[in-house]
Amino acid sequence: MGRGTPVSDRYTSRPDLDDTTLVVRAREGDVGAFAQLAERHQAALYRVALRLLGNTADAEDALQDALLDAWRRLDRFRGDSAFSTWAYRIVTNRCLDLLRARRATVGLDAVEEPAAPDTTEHAAEVDAGLAAVGAALRTLPDDQRACFVLRELEGLGYTEIAQITGASETAVRGRIHRARTTLAGVLRAWR
Amino acid sequence: MAIDPEPIEPLACGRDAAQVWDHAVAGTLDEHERTCPHCRAAAADALGLDGVVHRFAAQRPTPPPTVLDAVLGSVRDLVAAELRPQDLIPLDSPEGPARLARPAAARVLRHLVDGMEGVRARSCRVGTTGVTMTVTARFGVDLASVTARVRQMVVAAAEQTLGLPVGRVDITVVDLWEEDPWRA
Repeated sequence: MGRGTPVSDRYTSRPDLDDTTLVVRAREGDVGAFAQLAERHQAALYRVALRLLGNTADAEDALQDALLDAWRRLDRFRGDSAFSTWAYRIVTNRCLDLLRARRATVGLDAVEEPAAPDTTEHAAEVDAGLAAVGAALRTLPDDQRACFVLRELEGLGYTEIAQITGASETAVRGRIHRARTTLAGVLRAWR
Repeated sequence: MAIDPEPIEPLACGRDAAQVWDHAVAGTLDEHERTCPHCRAAAADALGLDGVVHRFAAQRPTPPPTVLDAVLGSVRDLVAAELRPQDLIPLDSPEGPARLARPAAARVLRHLVDGMEGVRARSCRVGTTGVTMTVTARFGVDLASVTARVRQMVVAAAEQTLGLPVGRVDITVVDLWEEDPWRA
């Protein structure tokens, strides 16, 4: 990057400020406070994007769009939920939109093909059981995959996932269960 | 949402399949679930998948720093483009016009308050007639004395560092924190 960090950004130097304080400051135009918030949450948002979209390039784009969107919409964040819930919601919606658009342009034939895992993810999938489940995860319906990723890989509760996805808790519970059943079936067949 | 969306089909024994799954993973299977063949099959599936999912979840990919760099670059451009004339405070400057952006002034004041014992700045608005600030304080500190110190600091810093005479400083304590409050 050619540009340096403005001195004023360093005025948010305390690493221990809570999210609420950082949100208030960012909303008042403090870019440093927003940088701290983004830095704190970006890894989790990126993991969700990567697991929903299946490749790093799209996940990086989705994260970038989601963070910029978060900045633009901070005024509308009223603190009814945690900032992290709100940010998860933005990135999840972004990914689901991208997946819908991808289906619309790629056509139905390609939809059934699981996206080829990119090299980084593939290298990390050290054992075959993991690879089988990873591949099956990519073939799940988007809403099931989103709920499964948020529950099983991010460890969130049903209530929070309902807030993130805009579905009822009952629907979330059902989607997670269907995803689990499908993946367990894949694993059973593979063993 | 009038209709229950796609209800979960119960196991052949009548048990809620999702609940048996949760019990298996949590290690809280009841007597029936431990002995019923349908529940045992569901529990075996749950534990099998759970092991793989744990390894999957243990992978913690991180985004490259270029993503946040690009975001912050765009954010700074947006902020610069959106700065309105009323966001600029004219400074006393005989040599020619000099102005200070209100958000920048606010950042300086917050930073000074952050450096004080037992208090952190939250909102800070630098207006034409004064400064309005919200702070959080450590549980147990003397709030009257802490707000007095904040007021003193803000007035002094505004005048000496920013060259900005401040008439009025409104301080509201909006939250209290204990030992390790920042790990929300």
